[in-house]
Amino acid sequence: MYFPLSIWDISLWIAVTAIILLATSELLAPYSDYFGDFVIDKTRLRLAALVLGAAFMVTVILRAVMPP
Amino acid sequence: MEALICNRSQCEGTRNKVSLKSEDDSQKKEKNDKESEQATVQYLMETIGNLQKENEILRRDLLKSKRTPSGKVGFLLLAIGALTLIGSVVSTIAVLAFIGLGLTFWGALFLFARPIKFVRSIILDSTAISSYTTIDRIVEDLNYKGKPIYVPPYPKEAYLPEYLKGLKEMVVYIPAEDIVAIPTLEEMSKRQFLLKNPKGICIAPPGYGLIDLFEKELKSEFIQIDLDRLCSSLPTIIVNNLELAKELEINPENGFIHVKTVDSAYKDLYSSEQALKSIHSIGSPLISAIACALAKTTGKLVTIAKDAISPDLRTIEVWYQTLET
Repeated sequence: MYFPLSIWDISLWIAVTAIILLATSELLAPYSDYFGDFVIDKTRLRLAALVLGAAFMVTVILRAVMPP
Repeated sequence: MEALICNRSQCEGTRNKVSLKSEDDSQKKEKNDKESEQATVQYLMETIGNLQKENEILRRDLLKSKRTPSGKVGFLLLAIGALTLIGSVVSTIAVLAFIGLGLTFWGALFLFARPIKFVRSIILDSTAISSYTTIDRIVEDLNYKGKPIYVPPYPKEAYLPEYLKGLKEMVVYIPAEDIVAIPTLEEMSKRQFLLKNPKGICIAPPGYGLIDLFEKELKSEFIQIDLDRLCSSLPTIIVNNLELAKELEINPENGFIHVKTVDSAYKDLYSSEQALKSIHSIGSPLISAIACALAKTTGKLVTIAKDAISPDLRTIEVWYQTLET
């Protein structure tokens, strides 16, 4: 019983998610926070995207320092 | 004698006729009263019916706004994601781990990015109307003709003796006469409503609450910045951060400070249906907050010299004037 993902798998997942979030936050930027029945805080969405982007960069640096 | 008896009988006859007439009149009056009462009751019933319908519509709107699904969706995704992650650890399946990670992340994101409660702008207007109507009534009743003047406060950090602490609050002074005369510091510090020398009233500006929000976004007080910084930073705060208007321009021109707003959240207060008079002299909460910011930044008295509103209420232009104390 162990966690089946290595750090590099997680790095890939973080990269994909960060790209999706960054694209979404960029696309939502010109609109108001209120879309019909759904509301979202754009500032926090952008923050989450940037944090994930930074996390991916950290994994890249790790890969550079400690190659698999 | 006979003649006398005849006269008496005639008199009684006329009395009877008069009493009959008055009875008829009173009956007619009663009938009219009953009819008007019925009409009033019918009208009131119709009004109550309409109000109940409106109430029902508002209740549905409120329920709709309360049923924001992002919270529930967030919790659901988080729960499924956590279960999938546990499943992936137990069964050591990488695909399950990816799915679990994704679901947990999106659940957390949905909860994290859930915004502060949104209120429809129409509700903002309806809550602001009462204060403007009150100001209109007070000014009309006291027959005041002067233009409201925004008086800058003392800085929050500045030391003032206890009896002058009232000077740290932003106020709007409405003079009785159309002349620029400001009450003494002692009188202003008493936090009184009615001022005697010179005659006028002191009220809290409608944008009093907004100015604190602006300062929080700016991360400094308006007293600490200059007019150029105010002109560059205030549009960003109002348009991007607080979304109180779609566009905002602040330009100093020919001794005035010209402010142009497009699609302000308070634009409906200017509609002819509301027929508010003080809105043009004191300004909507947004216009009032800008006047407060200008007064704080320049340290001078500020009045609204004139305003221009487009027929569709989209564009509101205001010219502020600074006065020397």
